[in-house]
Amino acid sequence: MAISLSHVRFNYPDHPDRPVLNIPSWIISPGEQVFVHGPSGGGKSTLLNLISGMLPASNGHISILGQRLDQMTSRQRDQFRAGHIGYVFQQFNLIPYLDAIDNICLANHFSRGEKKPSLHDEIKTILSTLNILSDDWHTPTGRLSIGQQQRIAIARALINRPQVLIADEPTSSLDQKNRDSFMTLLMSTATNHNMTLLFVSHDLSLSRYFSRVEPLSDINQIEFMS
Amino acid sequence: MLIKLALKSLMNRKGSVLLSLLAMTVSIFVLLGVEHIRHQAKESFSKTVSGVDLIVGARTGSLNLLLYSVFRIGAPTNNISWKTFKEIASGSNIKWAIPISLGDSHKGYRVLGTTEDYFRFFSYGKQHRLRFTQGSAFSQLFDVVLGSEVARQLGYRLGDELVLSHGLASTSFSLHDDRPFKVVGILAPTGTPVDQTLHVSLQGIEAIHIDWRQGVKIPNSTITREQLEKMRLEPKAITAFMLGLKSRMVTFRVQREINNYRQEPLLAILPGVALSELWQTMAILEKILLLVSALVFVAALLGLSAMLLASIRERSREIQLLRVIGAPPGMVFVLIEMEALLITIVSIISGAGILLLCLATTQDYLMSHFGLYIGKNIFSASSLYLAAAIVAASILAAAIPSAQAFRKSIQIES
Repeated sequence: MAISLSHVRFNYPDHPDRPVLNIPSWIISPGEQVFVHGPSGGGKSTLLNLISGMLPASNGHISILGQRLDQMTSRQRDQFRAGHIGYVFQQFNLIPYLDAIDNICLANHFSRGEKKPSLHDEIKTILSTLNILSDDWHTPTGRLSIGQQQRIAIARALINRPQVLIADEPTSSLDQKNRDSFMTLLMSTATNHNMTLLFVSHDLSLSRYFSRVEPLSDINQIEFMS
Repeated sequence: MLIKLALKSLMNRKGSVLLSLLAMTVSIFVLLGVEHIRHQAKESFSKTVSGVDLIVGARTGSLNLLLYSVFRIGAPTNNISWKTFKEIASGSNIKWAIPISLGDSHKGYRVLGTTEDYFRFFSYGKQHRLRFTQGSAFSQLFDVVLGSEVARQLGYRLGDELVLSHGLASTSFSLHDDRPFKVVGILAPTGTPVDQTLHVSLQGIEAIHIDWRQGVKIPNSTITREQLEKMRLEPKAITAFMLGLKSRMVTFRVQREINNYRQEPLLAILPGVALSELWQTMAILEKILLLVSALVFVAALLGLSAMLLASIRERSREIQLLRVIGAPPGMVFVLIEMEALLITIVSIISGAGILLLCLATTQDYLMSHFGLYIGKNIFSASSLYLAAAIVAASILAAAIPSAQAFRKSIQIES
């Protein structure tokens, strides 16, 4: 299984009596492309933070690619995330004062993977396949348009050849035209690299790109206590 | 990679970083400078004279005597008669005696009238004797031996002629221009006031004043050079003299005898004691200076820390992003420390650079006006320790913003 959660509960330490997530069981197979939608404040970000290992679960099992996140130390989770999970946010995916190449280098730096001598060539290949003009490779990313930045964000997420790609509202700051081209690019990239894609958004119109669509409320079976 | 990230991040905040850098540079410059001058001054002081057991002058304060006889600073209060000098110098415990006569100058450099014994017995530093780079000691009436700085600054060579002026001002109107002196020797650099001095024989001093009255030249002097050389010139008075004793054991006895000398009020001092006394009067000043410069540095460091802390607030997204791509919280801590360290190291380099520049430009001035020889080599063990302490202090000060960044990186916004 690519992602598998069972009996996962989560609450923030300052509010022990108010659980945010309660997931009895949820499984995503390798290569699946899943669209999860729900209103803001429904625990979407928390779910993604648990899966990426940014947050430790309070209870339950979380296993990603067959590895138990809940049994790892925080340092191990950091390394695992760097090596196996790509992440694309709504915005601020890149360090604005670094150029595209340095941003991608940095992502590679934190993964414990092989430090390949051909890193720069590989980055250039990825950037070219994602249709990013070579003129923009050495510009600080803060000076590029949002559309370009989101493309570079995909490239950044791809450099460590992750098996799982998490996208958290990546299209929300894009206009219609840019959104369509971004989605096409993302879907084809995920398919080409045979990556498991977990895509979270409140925008239901994007669900047409996905084979599996689930509302968060189906996954998160939280009973609200008064 | 982390250094590159820190560097680019600093470049991205040029304005505030540059100001912090300037503040740090200035404070480190002051700190290094004070430390360096403190050491050099102390060293320079203690090495100006050695091997001299007693310095004798007219009765005055011991510091005053030391200052005018050794450092050529200030004016002597009174003279000593030649007879007295002869009598004391012939004492049974005396190994050698060097008379000193001050009062004339050449272009702001003081002229010292003495005997050839000066070149044989006077020593400085760790018992270094004076050495000639060119020529030799004076033998003729109108011969002059130059200190290395005098020769260098005024561009004199062997055989050049120069004219002494009466009094100590650098632009004197009463010149001994009827009797020029010839350069016969140039001394090797010593790093002491000797470098700033012109040495002539006592007879020479006597000869140029022979037809002067009350500091004014009598016009239409008829005495020729040849006549002067034939005359038996004996000084009536000298300014001070230095004594070398046959045995160190009798130093205090000889000192007491001189201080109790009936014919004339005299004062004998031990140069080592007087030097440390002189240094003592400066010690408190020196400590205050060091304290003030350390406080300036602390202020700059706090400024740096505040600048970084403010930047953390704007960079919470950036820190978040670093965490997502796999940077552990410790790395975020190190990143902020690295930024502080980069600023500190650049500041140390530029501070030291400015200090070197300042030393190079003020060295001559300090030497000629204060008799202080401040070396240009600031890379001593103590300044390296100081630099290490600066780095350590900045790491400590940067721990505050770094810890803030660390905390930010472990709490995830939901």
